[in-house]
Amino acid sequence: MTESVPLTWEEVARIYGRKIYNFAYRLTGNSDDAADLVQEVLLRVRKGLAAYQPGSFEGWLWRITRNAFLDEVRRRNRRPTAPLPDEVDRWDIASSPSADVEYSRISLGDDVQKALLELPYEFREAVVLCDIVGLSYEEIARAVAVPVGTVRSRIHRGRKQLRESLT
Amino acid sequence: MSHAGDLISAYLDGELTRPEIEQLKAHLSSCGRCAAEIQEVQLVRSAVRSLPMLELPAGLVPEADAEMVPLRRNKGFWVGAAAAVVALVIAVAALVTPSSPSIAIDELNSRYGARASLDPAFGPAKVVVPDLEGVLD
Repeated sequence: MTESVPLTWEEVARIYGRKIYNFAYRLTGNSDDAADLVQEVLLRVRKGLAAYQPGSFEGWLWRITRNAFLDEVRRRNRRPTAPLPDEVDRWDIASSPSADVEYSRISLGDDVQKALLELPYEFREAVVLCDIVGLSYEEIARAVAVPVGTVRSRIHRGRKQLRESLT
Repeated sequence: MSHAGDLISAYLDGELTRPEIEQLKAHLSSCGRCAAEIQEVQLVRSAVRSLPMLELPAGLVPEADAEMVPLRRNKGFWVGAAAAVVALVIAVAALVTPSSPSIAIDELNSRYGARASLDPAFGPAKVVVPDLEGVLD
């Protein structure tokens, strides 16, 4: 989506608040964490709108959303008493099952939600942005700052792992 | 092509070019493994897209709640007056209309509950199942 005229903050909140909440909930399985993220993202949007350069608004917004989420994960990882929503920057798929087990324990979602939480972060993020938020591969690539081919690979590998988890 | 790999998801998401679609079709016609995989991935994709879109917690984003309270206070009188007129019309109609057979709650549920369950507005918003027939021929 290309916006020649930026939206107002109120319009962003009204149009995208629910999508941001669903994005965060499907990544964390936790409604409190999702609510916190919505507020943090809207705060950043409010601060950033003045400097926004017309272009891909969706890419800009979801990059802010993703960065806010990752910042929160890193902050919590530095404070181990708080629940750990995920390990980020993790490419070793087989590593650290304990974090995923912890996720499943605190999440009361259905089987699909649980399977999502078992995915490595990069795969889960790509699948959620595609299937929950409804972004195109190109929009996801802009938001995540990776090539479109990487997005395509992450989505497919994510779905294949979901399939294994659900059977 | 050895196997279709991530072309499968890209196809289901409408992200392939026409030549890529033709390439995928040609491969699937001779590869049972990939033909099975596209069916499985389609099921998973539909399952994720069937997750309900959750409502924002009330009060979290007041700007998003604004549409739920569209009435301004200075319109209250006219809204109340209109409601009173409607109630009066209904009451008069009830008096002059022959009584109709009573409808049990269960019957109402079966009539309107069934309709609601068929209405896309009550179901998942984004479940699109691509037609695989042309691909798997």
